[in-house]
Amino acid sequence: MDETILVEKAKDGDKAALAQLVQTYSGKIYNLALRILRNKEDAEDILQETFLTVVEKLHTFDGRSGFFTWIYRIATNASLMKLRKKKLVFKDIANEDDYNDSIESRVFVDWTQDPSINVYDEEIKKKIDEAVNKLSDIYRSVFVLRDIEGLSIKETSAILNISEENVKIRLRRARQFLRDILSEYFEERVVN
Amino acid sequence: MKHDHSKERIKKMCDMLGEDFDSPKCQAMAEQVKACPTCKVYYDTVKKTVLLCKQNDCEEELPAEVNSRLMKLLDL
Repeated sequence: MDETILVEKAKDGDKAALAQLVQTYSGKIYNLALRILRNKEDAEDILQETFLTVVEKLHTFDGRSGFFTWIYRIATNASLMKLRKKKLVFKDIANEDDYNDSIESRVFVDWTQDPSINVYDEEIKKKIDEAVNKLSDIYRSVFVLRDIEGLSIKETSAILNISEENVKIRLRRARQFLRDILSEYFEERVVN
Repeated sequence: MKHDHSKERIKKMCDMLGEDFDSPKCQAMAEQVKACPTCKVYYDTVKKTVLLCKQNDCEEELPAEVNSRLMKLLDL
């Protein structure tokens, strides 16, 4: 059945339609929350919170954005709230001009062609997880939506309610941040 | 002058790092950075970092008990 019709039926109190929407999105929402929070219990909390909000607010959904965008927005916001509550301290790229200048003066080791650098290596998997865990909330959400979930700049902008330009800026900083952390480790591996 | 040119090239490359790597703009950038060894290594390592992060992510199936608790909570 067409999703717009399902949403309308669910709005009218049709439990079977709501159940179908839950089945369509529960796996996606669970994975989205897991990718942002990186904890299974937290992801289940967000899954439940998201669908309770959907049930509570479905009558306010006017269809201006797609249902997918709407539910992803609810889940992303809830995940970010939870992440912020953990009060973790994240590092950030302090000043972009200084950072760009530093690229010019640095010597980079090209580790991209080293076949031993792959995700079948448990130590590398751990390093990648640690690096993503260090990303602050605003960068992590964009990185997860764009690079992991594969959403477009437009979709990410609509979900996070920020401009497309801001999506690009945050994604760039997230990628640079991860590159720097992982390169420090990979360069050492390659040189030794 | 060479110094400024390089600075400009690095800025242009960094500005592209928020785009899709397979977009025409990024593809053109990938060609341009070949002329600057520092830029090339930097660009390639950013691209490979993203690829490794993607490969490291595996979608998890929603556990049956999690689904069952959700349906119960929603009275469905």
